[in-house]
Amino acid sequence: MLVSVKELKKYVDLEGLTAEEIAEGLTFAGIEVEEVSSLASGTHLVIGQIIECENHPDSDHLHVLKVDLGKEIKQIVCGAPNARKGLKVIVAQVGAKLPGGEIKLSSIRGVESHGMCCSLLELGVDAKYLNEKQTSGIEELPSDAPVGESDVLGYLGLDDQILNLKILANRPDLLSLYNVAKEVGAIFSRKVNIPTYSEKENFKTELKVGSETKRCSQFSGREIRNLKVKESPKYMKEALRSMGVRSINNIVDIGNYVMLLTGQPLHMYDADKLEKAELIAKDDKTIDFVALDEQTYKVIPGDIVITTNDKAMCLGGVMGSLECAVDEKTKNIYIEAASFDGASVRHTSSRLGLVSESSSRFVKGTNHFQGEEVIDFASHLIKENCEADKFSNIVTFQSEEKKDQIVKCDVSRINGRLGTEFSKKEIIDVLSRLHFEVKDEEKGAFLVKVPTFRLDISGEADISEEVIRILGFSHVKSVLPTLDVRVGGLSLRQSRLRKIRESLLNKGLDECLTYSLLSKENSTKFNLLNEEEHYVLLNPLTDEREVFRTHILYSLLEVASYNVNRQNKDLALFETSNMMSKSSRSEHLCVVLVGNELNRDIMNKTPYDFYHMKGVVENVFTLLGIESSRYRFDRYESNKEELHPGKSAKVIFQNKVIGVMGELHPNAKKEFGLAKLPVIVLEMDLEPLLEAKVSLVKMSPISRYPLVNRDLALIVRKEIEVIDIIKCIKKNGLGLIKEAKVFDVYEGENISRDFKSVAISISLGKEGTLTDKEITDVMDKVKYELNKAFDAELRM
Amino acid sequence: MENQNINKIYDQAMDEISSSSTSEKLQELKIKFLAKKSVLMSLLSTLGTLPPEERKAMGQRLNEVKAEISKAIEEKENELRKAEMEKKLKSETIDISLPSKKVELGGQNPFYVVKDEITDIFLNMGFEVADGPEVETDLFNFELLNIPQDHPARDMQDTFYISDSLLLRTHTSPVQAHTMKEANGKPIRIICPGKTYRRDDDDATHSHQFAQIEGLVIDKNINIGHLKATLELFVKKMFGEKREIRLRPSYFPFTEPSVEVDITCASCGGKGCSMCKGTGYIEILGGGMVHPNVLKMNGYDPDVYSGFAFGIGIERVAILRYGIDDIRKFYQNDVRFLNQYRKKA
Repeated sequence: MLVSVKELKKYVDLEGLTAEEIAEGLTFAGIEVEEVSSLASGTHLVIGQIIECENHPDSDHLHVLKVDLGKEIKQIVCGAPNARKGLKVIVAQVGAKLPGGEIKLSSIRGVESHGMCCSLLELGVDAKYLNEKQTSGIEELPSDAPVGESDVLGYLGLDDQILNLKILANRPDLLSLYNVAKEVGAIFSRKVNIPTYSEKENFKTELKVGSETKRCSQFSGREIRNLKVKESPKYMKEALRSMGVRSINNIVDIGNYVMLLTGQPLHMYDADKLEKAELIAKDDKTIDFVALDEQTYKVIPGDIVITTNDKAMCLGGVMGSLECAVDEKTKNIYIEAASFDGASVRHTSSRLGLVSESSSRFVKGTNHFQGEEVIDFASHLIKENCEADKFSNIVTFQSEEKKDQIVKCDVSRINGRLGTEFSKKEIIDVLSRLHFEVKDEEKGAFLVKVPTFRLDISGEADISEEVIRILGFSHVKSVLPTLDVRVGGLSLRQSRLRKIRESLLNKGLDECLTYSLLSKENSTKFNLLNEEEHYVLLNPLTDEREVFRTHILYSLLEVASYNVNRQNKDLALFETSNMMSKSSRSEHLCVVLVGNELNRDIMNKTPYDFYHMKGVVENVFTLLGIESSRYRFDRYESNKEELHPGKSAKVIFQNKVIGVMGELHPNAKKEFGLAKLPVIVLEMDLEPLLEAKVSLVKMSPISRYPLVNRDLALIVRKEIEVIDIIKCIKKNGLGLIKEAKVFDVYEGENISRDFKSVAISISLGKEGTLTDKEITDVMDKVKYELNKAFDAELRM
Repeated sequence: MENQNINKIYDQAMDEISSSSTSEKLQELKIKFLAKKSVLMSLLSTLGTLPPEERKAMGQRLNEVKAEISKAIEEKENELRKAEMEKKLKSETIDISLPSKKVELGGQNPFYVVKDEITDIFLNMGFEVADGPEVETDLFNFELLNIPQDHPARDMQDTFYISDSLLLRTHTSPVQAHTMKEANGKPIRIICPGKTYRRDDDDATHSHQFAQIEGLVIDKNINIGHLKATLELFVKKMFGEKREIRLRPSYFPFTEPSVEVDITCASCGGKGCSMCKGTGYIEILGGGMVHPNVLKMNGYDPDVYSGFAFGIGIERVAILRYGIDDIRKFYQNDVRFLNQYRKKA
């Protein structure tokens, strides 16, 4: 809402207040002023008259002017095509500061120029308020303009400052200059003067108004005859311009002017174009509607239309029809001031793309009880400016009863809510300033009658807000709440998640944040855990962000790709995020390792491989106290080209696949521009881990006897998994083998193809000293069994 | 005669020991002077041929010399060993300027640095962390927060819809309603960090995805002063002891009165500069007293209970704190960006 300080001043005493002070006052009362700007600016301006106009000797478009400035005559070089002898103009003298810079004495192609003749554009007036003539040449002042007048901005009505108010959804009443004036009056305790006008009826109209829909609760109309459509008076044009509206003609301008002042949109019908004197609101039409702008719009049930003989003459609150539009020839009109349901106007105007000052006022909410008053005001202006002489009675349909809204209040409850110590007198004073009627009651109690324009007030909490926003939050005493002592803190699952994240950071992985929305196509790629039933948006902004993701991996691979493109080829990335599908909601962990092991020994680079990722997973389990016997890795099988079939695995916990990990498939690497780099990925559902039961570790006794170590090397077929060899060793350890660990796997020279050499370190022990015989017996047994089970060739 | 001989051997031994420079040479001298077949030791074997009165003195003398030579060799050995060790260690000197073998801490998207830090500040004030779904129902995202169908405030937040009744939450405030319903009329003190979504085109200052931390306190006799003090404490912990806050009236459908909270500008300290557009203050969060309708709809009697709520933009705090110029940087995850931020102890 643009508010002209000059216009505002007509309705509230602003003596001694600067525009900035008013802006600050409004802002701290909850009405944010986003900007204070000048309509136009310029110093050293004067009104002059061109007394000579010669062509410049050295140019085909410049003129050399002699301009009478009242006290003196100056020579000015001017390029405007409309410069001519006799014309009265705005002159910026040498030294003038204009929005575009300072005017200096200059020589233009050899001719001295003592100033500049200006267009309004050059004084900073927005081009949208100017016509083509005004933007293509210098401003042409009327012939009665006073030569020598130096208050040029004042003469032009441009000596004004504009406050740009941000109107929040609770205060649609402030889309009215009158109500802004009341607000400013309350804030600064200043006198407010809102004039009321009325135009007495001098004939009875046949106009019938009504509504057949609850979407139109009130409809007032009046017939006015013998008006003349012409240019608006200067004051009205200036007022409209200062509040951001272009002048069209007197009748259209009066509609806009009244709306800006009162907040009530008006509509005018050419009475002679209607089939009969009837305006009925309906909302059940399915028709093609030809509007003022000559476009055809599809009207559907739910849209409010104003009908005559059941034919739509106006799209209520949105736009009139071409058929009954007011034009230069219009003599007789019906004027409408109605109340339309905001939601319905919102649906209509946004569906048809017809958003206007009127429609947005209905959308936000209007005063339902000021129709007649506003019509009276408009009538007065029409009489004054349009020469109309016949004013009918005002006819009104009103379905809603005017009920006074009374709020019961109590001083101590208000102070209790605010944390303040205001007296009853202070509170009542503030409310009176805001045009609330207050009835004092016993003790702290009082009753407040809410003015009809305040649609946002319904209870005591709202009244408290009125008090504090006018008196100021500096009165609120800052006190920490004294609450029962209790243990806050993270829940078990929250602290487990925090621990996992911190442990990954401590291992040098970088924590990422990516978008939850993916394209349809990408949402199904790398969905390793096969989460089904994605949520899909009805109204996405782009195809790229249409589906709520159920996995992180795709996003993190994009991050890897982004970084590799920027020559950062060693990456260790992770993200934890909440995933949602139609069937589940769970916290996921995703890890992507690319290139060489990061941040370790920079001089001995180690490429990431499957086992790094396996370590990450095992660490997460260990961190949460989940023993290795409770989970396992199984080979991952898939027919998609997403992971390397030989270098991938499922993580199985509580008999469920909770994670999938492995090296990226070479084709997938190519897709992300990661070809030739090691890329190891993991997607894991953390939910089972966050919820897992973990028992306390009971200490097991530590043997006093040292362990004996024996190494074993064997050659087996490549496909045999070491874990099976170790299981076999442990199973046949006669209770003496405490541990068996692989410490080397070798393929290549000296080993036949399809075979590998595996070296295992075995620790033996018992409660007592082991004898050589015991050791030999166990080792012989193990060797025998390994040979039997794996056809293993032992090398010792 | 033997005595002279002994002295001569002694002198020769001492000379050779002190002039030897390697342990190999000392080994040779050991053999030369102390081995059984050495001159000295051979004299010992001739002791028996001496008359008894000389034998004793001679024997004593021989043993003395032997002991002294042994001692001299041993000392020399120690000396040489020490020198050799020094030489060896010196030759092993490394370049201490080479890179270390530490495990560098991972870089952390500053989003998380701020999120965790804000969370910890409130945890220390006795708050708990609540949680809610990102795919929300219209009921929780709007209705239960006093934003009925067609309420003009719905226009304030352009919403991603999944169906008529399902949407991506536009704020973390629905967690207020969830928490109240679960708490069943008991006092509440929670925060809820979480992702939120609005139908905004992404640019330097807008993002279709962003995150908030919601705060909610419900108890008897809660007033705005409590909100003010809680946020003051938060701001001082987060932005520094010198920061002051200022409340400005505002509007949110689910609080009444509603406030915007400004903090004194970090770069000018409140005097006014380009960062705060000359105002001396920067807007950082919104809040207010929980609207009586919200309390009522979620099972609290507004005549008995009152509460305050607030919402902090996580990215906004990070942007202000670290001078980040583009909200999209959080979602790009350039490792050169991430590695500028690490969790502080």
